[in-house]
Amino acid sequence: MRIRRILCAGLLVVGGVVAVAPAAYASSPKDHGKELYECVEKAVEEHPEALKGDAEGFENALDDCKKAKSLLTPALPEIIWGGLAFLIVLVVLMKFAFPALKKGLKDRTEKIQGDLDAASRAREDAEAEAAQYRSQIGDARSEASTIIEDARADAERIRREVVERAEAEAADVKARAAEDVRLAQERAMSDLRSQVADISIGLAEKVVERNLDRATQEALVESFIDSVGNGPR
Amino acid sequence: MTGGDKVEAYAQAILTIARAEGVVGAVEDDLFRFARTLQGSDALRNALTDPSLPAERRVAVVEELTGGKALNLSTAVLGMLVGAGRVNDLGDVADRVVALAAAERERDVAEVRSAIELTDDQIRRLAESLGRATGKTVDVKVVVDPSVLGGLVAQIGDTVIDGTVRTRLDQMKAQL
Repeated sequence: MRIRRILCAGLLVVGGVVAVAPAAYASSPKDHGKELYECVEKAVEEHPEALKGDAEGFENALDDCKKAKSLLTPALPEIIWGGLAFLIVLVVLMKFAFPALKKGLKDRTEKIQGDLDAASRAREDAEAEAAQYRSQIGDARSEASTIIEDARADAERIRREVVERAEAEAADVKARAAEDVRLAQERAMSDLRSQVADISIGLAEKVVERNLDRATQEALVESFIDSVGNGPR
Repeated sequence: MTGGDKVEAYAQAILTIARAEGVVGAVEDDLFRFARTLQGSDALRNALTDPSLPAERRVAVVEELTGGKALNLSTAVLGMLVGAGRVNDLGDVADRVVALAAAERERDVAEVRSAIELTDDQIRRLAESLGRATGKTVDVKVVVDPSVLGGLVAQIGDTVIDGTVRTRLDQMKAQL
């Protein structure tokens, strides 16, 4: 579009120049010859040495007189041939160069658009992938946190169990020791009581034997007979 | 024949002979006392069961122990049992003879252990007292046993009436 606009503007400028130039020449051809005559006359006056054989300055002045006075007012043949050449070149360009150029631009545009789309897709993919990575990192962090918490909980549970087991074993050992002490005390007391009883009974037996004379024995027998006869023992 | 049958046979035979001689009470008393003496003396039991001693020597030991203290029939019966090698059954035979004799008199036997010898009057009164206590008519067989220290203990069948000093001391010991 842009190129087409430039081309249209160029054609309008060329058309304007072509339209104005013939009008300028057509309006005063005689003026144009008069100016050439006046220019030649002025060159002769300014270069009198040409009559003496040194015509170089005079020839230069003539050449200047032959040249166009302005770019906007060229000679008609130049305008015609220039316009034709321009049209030929324009046609050739429009026929061969512009389509190729247009196709190239289109291909380049499509390629750039494709690259842009691909870049956009790549960026979106990258962003999605980055989001996925962030999500995975978040999941991994969460999982790691969970694992760490679980490990801490397990460690705490194991520590608590070990402590409880150790305390229970210690309490058991203490209780067994206390029970052993108690049993030992009871055994000692029982042995002591038994020994005291044996000694006491032994002494009592000796005392009784010493005091059990015939009369006492008879009294015991009579007492037994009387007590049995008076009722069941 | 089992051991129990042999004891019963010996007891019946001894009782038959004593009954024929009219000395059942004396024979059963002699057998009972000798059996209790044998029961309380390991040395006597070992001597009478010593296989190295001839039977004649063992019978002579019995005769020496009972001579003058027991009826000749009782000494002969004991010598027969020792000579026949029935020393270990002698206690059972004596108990069975006493039981059979008491059964013939329709009486129960009260085995009484005392630290001293009892007089006949004490034995009679004791029999009366035990009869009142048990509701039975009893014959008293006294065994002198110094280990009771003092007092008496009477056993009538499964009933035991204990009034010995030994038992009271044992009770005190148990309480201590």
